[in-house]
Amino acid sequence: MCIERGEIFGLVGPNGCGKTTLTNAITGFYPPQRGRILLNGRDITGLAPHYVATLGVARTFQNLALFNGMSVLDNILLGRHIHMKPSVGRTALYWWLARSDETLNRAAVEDVIDFLQLEGVRDELVDGIPIGLKKRVELARALAAEPSFLILDEPMAGMNQEEKEYMARFILDARDERNVTVLLIEHHMDVITGICDRMLALNYGEMIGSGVPADVVADPRVVEAYIGGAHVAR
Amino acid sequence: MDAISLMESAANGALIGLMYSLVAMGIVLIYKSSSVPNLAQGSMTMLAAYVVLAFANSAGAPIWAAISLAIITMFIIGLAIERVALRRLAGRPIIMILMMTLGLEIFLRAGSMTIWGGTTRPMNLGISDAPLFLGPLLINRAYAFGAVVTIAMFGFFVMFFRSRVGVVLRAISDDYTAAWSVGISVERGVALSWAMSAVVATIAGVLWSSVQGVDQSLAQLLLKGVTVAVLGGLDSIGGALLAGVLLGVVEGIASSVLDPLLGGASRDLVDAAMLILTILIRPHGLFGRHDIERV
Repeated sequence: MCIERGEIFGLVGPNGCGKTTLTNAITGFYPPQRGRILLNGRDITGLAPHYVATLGVARTFQNLALFNGMSVLDNILLGRHIHMKPSVGRTALYWWLARSDETLNRAAVEDVIDFLQLEGVRDELVDGIPIGLKKRVELARALAAEPSFLILDEPMAGMNQEEKEYMARFILDARDERNVTVLLIEHHMDVITGICDRMLALNYGEMIGSGVPADVVADPRVVEAYIGGAHVAR
Repeated sequence: MDAISLMESAANGALIGLMYSLVAMGIVLIYKSSSVPNLAQGSMTMLAAYVVLAFANSAGAPIWAAISLAIITMFIIGLAIERVALRRLAGRPIIMILMMTLGLEIFLRAGSMTIWGGTTRPMNLGISDAPLFLGPLLINRAYAFGAVVTIAMFGFFVMFFRSRVGVVLRAISDDYTAAWSVGISVERGVALSWAMSAVVATIAGVLWSSVQGVDQSLAQLLLKGVTVAVLGGLDSIGGALLAGVLLGVVEGIASSVLDPLLGGASRDLVDAAMLILTILIRPHGLFGRHDIERV
């Protein structure tokens, strides 16, 4: 499996086929048992998750992983962590040593808030906002890191049609305006065929079809894995 | 029981309570940084007092130098505890981690008994025994000194949790997975919280042993620490401070009223009642975040 720079790459497959496991292997949450993972030609197999993040890989989670005790703004600011130099000394002397740094990070965060239209909730506690917005905050936190590679694990789960369309637009814009390569895991086939350049279908850890979405979704093996064999004949 | 002596009990109780807060602060620090309830804080406090004595008596260092050396030693011991005992438990069920800290508590207490024996040794900070006069009230100087140090530590940690490192630690305690995904080294953060907590234990150990000497009974401060931490709200440093004062005052008054009737056990009774009632009535404590009770 190979994802080209600047691509939106779709990953589909039935539940339990290994989509999230693949994500966890790339981001270092689980070391893979076999195989290698290369990022821009560099072997990142088995590196610690926080270190993979510093290499420009950002992700969102299927079941959300936000800092629930903090505001939307603080959550997105923490997305800037890899760009901050966390020194107590510098923070203590904040007003003259770390100010330009801080201003820069704040500006980047405001930019992302603007981009994802989160102004209305920026000071709300993240615990209290609706799930559709939480998904968007998680995307904002990931984008705040200015990643080169972004992994979105079912960013549209539980969303209605309108919210899905918004999210699809944000993903396209992230690629076009922020030069992010995207790996998109999604169950909604219309989204995959609508915005992905290429895609891969998995079934029980096996790659059963890859290429341009229109071709993959027409592949009988993919249809069988997804809908079940009996339906193909009819 | 006349009003003056009751007020005296309350005032000294408040100061003792602030010294309880210092033990609770160690527990809150770790909870606030990694969501781990640390039941080893009592024997870490005890261990720190022995380490100070080791530097002061065996190595012959002056007491203030011995305390500084002990702070550095305990910082390293805190890092070591995380590395050896807790790192492989990161993300495991909280009950396993809780049992691990309880195991550490017992291990440190038993270990100190093996190395240093059970005789009580004095810790002399050079604080005069003569009481301070506050109007008609007699105030214990050692308690007053302890209270001042506690308030200073409180100020430091309130500032600390507003710094970048502090925010990162709060983020870790909120969600390990999310912290990893934004590039935070959770392991390093948890290690730092244990190291800071071990430093707080050193200061608590010095203050408490100057009052009651150094022996294994210092580890029983765990009970006070846990009660104060839970009452204040496990993730609230300010809560620990106020809850300490509250517990100290209630204990002070209760013991001066009830001890003659009950034969001296009223402090621990008050303590246990506070802990049980807090958990029954207000599980997230006075100032804790609401969702703590869901954990």
